[in-house]
Amino acid sequence: MTFVQNFPFICIIMTLFGGPLSSILGRKKAKVLNTAIITAVGLMNLAVLSFVIGTGESYVYSMGHFPAPWGNEIRIGVLEALMAVFFSVIMLLSILGGVKEREEQIEESKQNLYYIMVNLLLSSLIALIYTNDIFTAYVFVEINTISACGLIMIRQNGRTIVAGTRYMIMSLLGSGMLLLGISFLYGLTGELLMSNIHEAVVKIVAEGRYHDPLIVSLGLMSIGLAIKSALFPFHAWLPDAYGYSTVSSSAILSSLVSKGYVFLLIKIFYRVIGFDIVARSHIIDVLFVFGVMGMIMGSVSAIRQSSISRMIAYSSVAQIGYIYMGLGLGSTVGLEATLYHVISHAATKSLLFIAASGLTEVSDDSTDFFDLTGAGYRNKLAGLAFTAGSLSMVGTPLFAGFISKLLFAEAGIGHTYKTLPTMIALAISTVLNTIYFMKTVIRLYTPERQKVEEKKHFTRIHWWNEPLKSATLVCFIALNLVLGLGSARILFLIRNGLRMFG
Amino acid sequence: MSVVILLAIFLPIIAGTVSLVQLAGKKNKDEEPSQEQLTKLHYNVARVLLITAALAIFAAWRSGSENGVTLFYLMKDIPLYFHIDDVGRLFVTFISIVWVLAGIYSFEYMKHEGKEQRFFGFYTIVFGVLIALCFAGNVVTLYLFYELMSLTTVPLVLHNGSRESIMAALKYLFYSMCGAYMGLFGIFFLYRYCDTLNFVAGGTLNTALASGNTKILLFAVFMMLVGFGVKAGMFPMHAWLPTAHPVAPSPASAVLSGIIVKCGVLSIIRVVYYMVGADFIRGTWVQTAWMTLTLITVFMGSLLAFKEKIFKKRLAYSTVSQASYILFGLAALQPQAMTGALLHSVFHAFIKSALFMTAGVFIYKCHRTRVEELPGVGREMPKTIWCYTFASLALIGIPPASGFISKWYLAEGALNAGIGAYGWIGPVVLLISALLTAGYLLPVTIKGFFPGDAAKESYENLEPSRLMLVPLAILAALTLLLGVFPNPLISFAGKIAASVM
Amino acid sequence: MNAGWMAFAILFPILGGVLIPLLPFGNRKQMLIYVESVVLLNTLVTVNLLLHRPQEVFTAFRFTGYLSVSFHIDGLGSVFSWIVALLWPLATLYSFEYMKHEGHEKYFFMFYTVTYGITLGICFSANLLSMYFFYEMLSLVTVPLVMHTLSRDAILASRTYLYYSIGGAAFAFIGMVFVLKYGSGLDFVPGGVLDENLIGSNKNVLLLAFVLAFCGFSVKAAMFPFSKWLPKAGVAPTPVTALLHAVAVVKAGAFATMRVTYYSFGADFLRGTWAQKVVLALTIFTIVYGCSRAVKETHGKRRLAWSTVSNLSYILFGVALMSPLGLAGALCHMVFHAVMKISAFFCAGAVMYKTGRDYVHEWDGLGRKMPKVFTAFTVSAFALMGVPGLCGFISKWQLVRAAIDSESVLGYVGIGALLISALLTAIYMLTVVIRAFYPGKSFDYSTLEGIEDPNWMMCLPLFCFTAAIVIFGIHSAPLVEALTSIASVVG
Repeated sequence: MTFVQNFPFICIIMTLFGGPLSSILGRKKAKVLNTAIITAVGLMNLAVLSFVIGTGESYVYSMGHFPAPWGNEIRIGVLEALMAVFFSVIMLLSILGGVKEREEQIEESKQNLYYIMVNLLLSSLIALIYTNDIFTAYVFVEINTISACGLIMIRQNGRTIVAGTRYMIMSLLGSGMLLLGISFLYGLTGELLMSNIHEAVVKIVAEGRYHDPLIVSLGLMSIGLAIKSALFPFHAWLPDAYGYSTVSSSAILSSLVSKGYVFLLIKIFYRVIGFDIVARSHIIDVLFVFGVMGMIMGSVSAIRQSSISRMIAYSSVAQIGYIYMGLGLGSTVGLEATLYHVISHAATKSLLFIAASGLTEVSDDSTDFFDLTGAGYRNKLAGLAFTAGSLSMVGTPLFAGFISKLLFAEAGIGHTYKTLPTMIALAISTVLNTIYFMKTVIRLYTPERQKVEEKKHFTRIHWWNEPLKSATLVCFIALNLVLGLGSARILFLIRNGLRMFG
Repeated sequence: MSVVILLAIFLPIIAGTVSLVQLAGKKNKDEEPSQEQLTKLHYNVARVLLITAALAIFAAWRSGSENGVTLFYLMKDIPLYFHIDDVGRLFVTFISIVWVLAGIYSFEYMKHEGKEQRFFGFYTIVFGVLIALCFAGNVVTLYLFYELMSLTTVPLVLHNGSRESIMAALKYLFYSMCGAYMGLFGIFFLYRYCDTLNFVAGGTLNTALASGNTKILLFAVFMMLVGFGVKAGMFPMHAWLPTAHPVAPSPASAVLSGIIVKCGVLSIIRVVYYMVGADFIRGTWVQTAWMTLTLITVFMGSLLAFKEKIFKKRLAYSTVSQASYILFGLAALQPQAMTGALLHSVFHAFIKSALFMTAGVFIYKCHRTRVEELPGVGREMPKTIWCYTFASLALIGIPPASGFISKWYLAEGALNAGIGAYGWIGPVVLLISALLTAGYLLPVTIKGFFPGDAAKESYENLEPSRLMLVPLAILAALTLLLGVFPNPLISFAGKIAASVM
Repeated sequence: MNAGWMAFAILFPILGGVLIPLLPFGNRKQMLIYVESVVLLNTLVTVNLLLHRPQEVFTAFRFTGYLSVSFHIDGLGSVFSWIVALLWPLATLYSFEYMKHEGHEKYFFMFYTVTYGITLGICFSANLLSMYFFYEMLSLVTVPLVMHTLSRDAILASRTYLYYSIGGAAFAFIGMVFVLKYGSGLDFVPGGVLDENLIGSNKNVLLLAFVLAFCGFSVKAAMFPFSKWLPKAGVAPTPVTALLHAVAVVKAGAFATMRVTYYSFGADFLRGTWAQKVVLALTIFTIVYGCSRAVKETHGKRRLAWSTVSNLSYILFGVALMSPLGLAGALCHMVFHAVMKISAFFCAGAVMYKTGRDYVHEWDGLGRKMPKVFTAFTVSAFALMGVPGLCGFISKWQLVRAAIDSESVLGYVGIGALLISALLTAIYMLTVVIRAFYPGKSFDYSTLEGIEDPNWMMCLPLFCFTAAIVIFGIHSAPLVEALTSIASVVG
């Protein structure tokens, strides 16, 4: 066992303890520590990734020296490492990009708390990614929920309290169902380690016993996680939660938290139950239908919004729809598309949130479209970034969104009766995306009259005024382009990862 | 030889264009030209017209003129090709005569309309276009000059620039275009199903190719008939004639009625007898429909003319009716009837031009446009009215004037054509129409000389100048002379008819 | 000629354009010289490329293993490239004069020049993905041109434009994925790339995909029911409406449908199917629909835009006939319509520039004051109507020839539609011409005091186009033959 193999574990522990540590440090130091931890996590995971690519197979890392079923273990493959790297990169950029807003919007005394929450969140995400134990997964799901709630509510203006509470309730409902599902499964198999459960499930299915309980358990877990990741029609909590919280939180929540759950679901499908068994059940069709509906309805709602952040939030609903549609196709190609979309959407959505904050900043902190007229001229870099993000969402070639669209379409064609719904949903959703994103972009570049600008206290910001945010935006744009142009490499990793995933 | 043909075509076109460009380049366009300039213009125009007419007739009748001229290739297998045959000869001759005479007539007439240079510019251009139309050796060349004819005659119609005349010109234009495009529809099909687009007496239809596609081909032919029939004023697309004629200057109406309408006839002859072949449509629904349309037009035109009170409009309706005499003769698909049709083309050109020139004299000398204003006019301008009377008699078909001969052949042809009931319905309709013709033309003469109650104490002499009177007289004389000595013409027309059937 | 020059021809105007706002020009003239030289130089490079066509495929970059952006010049691409390369410098010359009164010139010329490169990208694309890529880019870079005046109308128009074209691309995208799945790759191969063995029983789905792709791409070619954006976009400055919305952008749409039909799905696969009937019916309807709308429209440029709608469907009709002859006709009309319509637009632009009159009924009597412009306009009107001897007739002839050859009822109906459209064209063009030259007896010319023909920068392009209309009209054989031989490879 080489030293690198310890890294995942170290990451989880380090972030877990980074939280409490932040609480005793000063505000500034907590910030530095937090940044350092995220960077370190990113780097370590990168090392792990290259290690796993090198060995070409996944490995199991037992915590403590107890063998299963008593011990707890994590399992590291290319896919997990890739996600971990990616999540830390997005996390880092989101944290850096929202510094100013955070410091303005959050009470000074609560700032430390923020870093605690972020650390815990990262820790839970990494753990969700790596864990090979379904109960551990549940535990970290709860940690994740709580820290996410904290991230929402920490900006204290009545609305976030309501949104946070709502989020909490829905999330707990989801967690409850997940727990129920897990306990069913435990009852059926008597195992908690994923690989062991799988063996047991295969056996049960082969013997033809307990068909219904198994489906119920699978359904409970799926629905639970779907609620938590805001799949239509369980998305009601999302727009407020994302729309009103501080920008870093919105970015993190929309691009990482929900994706963590999705990843867990994929893990359950792929590793715990076995993908062929899932594909045969009708749960996957239900997910498909909800996904397709989400794609359309999310966009339709987004068109109706008058506030840019809520629009982006609703767009997330649509994008989650894409992800579930990909899952719902029940094929490996679909899964690849989904995973790619998890990454590309994370990169795009956080870019959009941060760019939007840059735009509202110069529009007297108003998120109303009407006030955003001409904002693209007042903050040029943010305008550019928003445009890039929009293009990616619309699926223009060069950007990440195009590749995921392409992958979804290819996956859709492979299916017998889901081909047409997939294709039509993709096309309609593209049109709808175009409508609301491009409308916004055009508004950003419609010049506002000088007089109005003065009356409304609009300001101008150049990229050198906020170097940190500018750097983040540039990084995000670059990330999008890299994903759009260098998708071959990422796809290769995803395929490899999936191979060693099950 | 080819040089003469091309010269006859392009000399007037170029001369007219130069004149127009010079006009466009003028600084002060509204300035009235001085008398001296005007005379110079007249001389130039006369020179161009006469030389062109001479060239055209020379080119047509000179022996050895059967060789065609290919100007250039419009498309790979479609040349702009001129070729002279008997039909072309016949048409180019009477067109040249009428065109020159009407041109001379307008020297005087156009004085009261003004903007002579513009008028004569277009007038000469159209002459060239018409010659080209007669000499066209294939259907695409024909179509090209057919459209050019429509476009270049529009300025003649809207010459006086009143709102009414502009609307009339637009109506004329759109009817013509509509017809041209219907014709084009058919040409597309001919291109596919004919061996060559060149005119060959008897037709060039490739029967083997066409056999499977008779239905669509017949439809295409019918479209062409209706389309080119627009220019010939065939029902249901005749409405432009009564609108365009009254507003156009009289010489323009004269040539529109006498000549332009004949170009529609010429195109139909070309299509039916030189492209598709009479055999292809004989006995089909196309022939029946065509004959029905022409007979309706003959009757309706006369009836409307009879009821019409505006003199020029009355003459226009008369043209509608008379042109369909010709078309009926063609529709019978019988040599004698076709002879009659060809004869009637010639006669009607002379007659109708003469009639319109008379109408022009009324307008020019005493601003009378309505029939009610005409009683007593014979006393004011007896020479004119005598010319008018001769022409009228010829149109009605009273022997020995020319119209009688053509109508005789038409009727005889119809009876021998073996077209069932149409064989007698046709002549009957023609006869009724002739009676109506008498009814609407002769009262002008009668009331003109014998105004009855409307008689005035004294009549001033309103006889027009020689420039107007001489062309009118020549045309009137021709209508009579051709009736008295018709044999060369009959045998020539008969030859043409025999060659295609 | 090295294949890399293809990339150069695409990138050079893009870079040259992007530099415009950054370079410190002393005055307007310097900028104009810079722009014109960039454009001219690129045209030279392109023409040279077209004369010595590199045979190999040049791959610029790869998206994934099997998806790449590659360039290759084949016959079809070279036709479109010729049009683009020759028209661009002339249109640029025209815009120097025209844009004087529009302002924001730097940005205008930036996007204008960038568009040049991107359009060439579409011409040179060697596979469907590359074409799709440049197609989307084209939508994006032309949006700023449409919203150039930044008026409310312009903003709304640019929105509509963007929705339509990206929406269309979304449907085209579906078709592309189907080709990818059921074909041997995305490369353009004459006759199509579909693989019989892969299709199996999915023929109908594939046909549906074709219809979607055809409709998707023809959004840019403004086929009914996706034609609304084009007249709306008439608010853009005239050089944009003329060059982009009569030639580059809209022809890119038509070009894309040619590629999809003949080089991806393959005409053999489609001929005689319900898919062909659907697209044929749509194009036929558009031919008449566009013209009728043009007749009703009184705004000069919008009228021409509706006319473009109809004329683009001539091209699409040719494409939809699914035969080499049809493609030849379509190509022919693509070339000729470019010349005719750009000439008409430039005339309209010259009038608006000189007089500020947008509506055709305000153009009465202008024929006398601006004889050069209106002569050019008359010639283009005649050409659009299809008067023989001018180029419009030739392309119409080719199209109809293909339609008759198809021996299908819809083909015949299409001929009827073409002729009805010609008649309507006569109505909406000639009323303008006649009233410009014959405003009526009582017309008061003193209201037109001081109006005259524009200067040489506007007149020279007009003269060139008019000459081209006539020359192509009377001597088209070599061109038509070349186009026919290009088209013959797809059969």
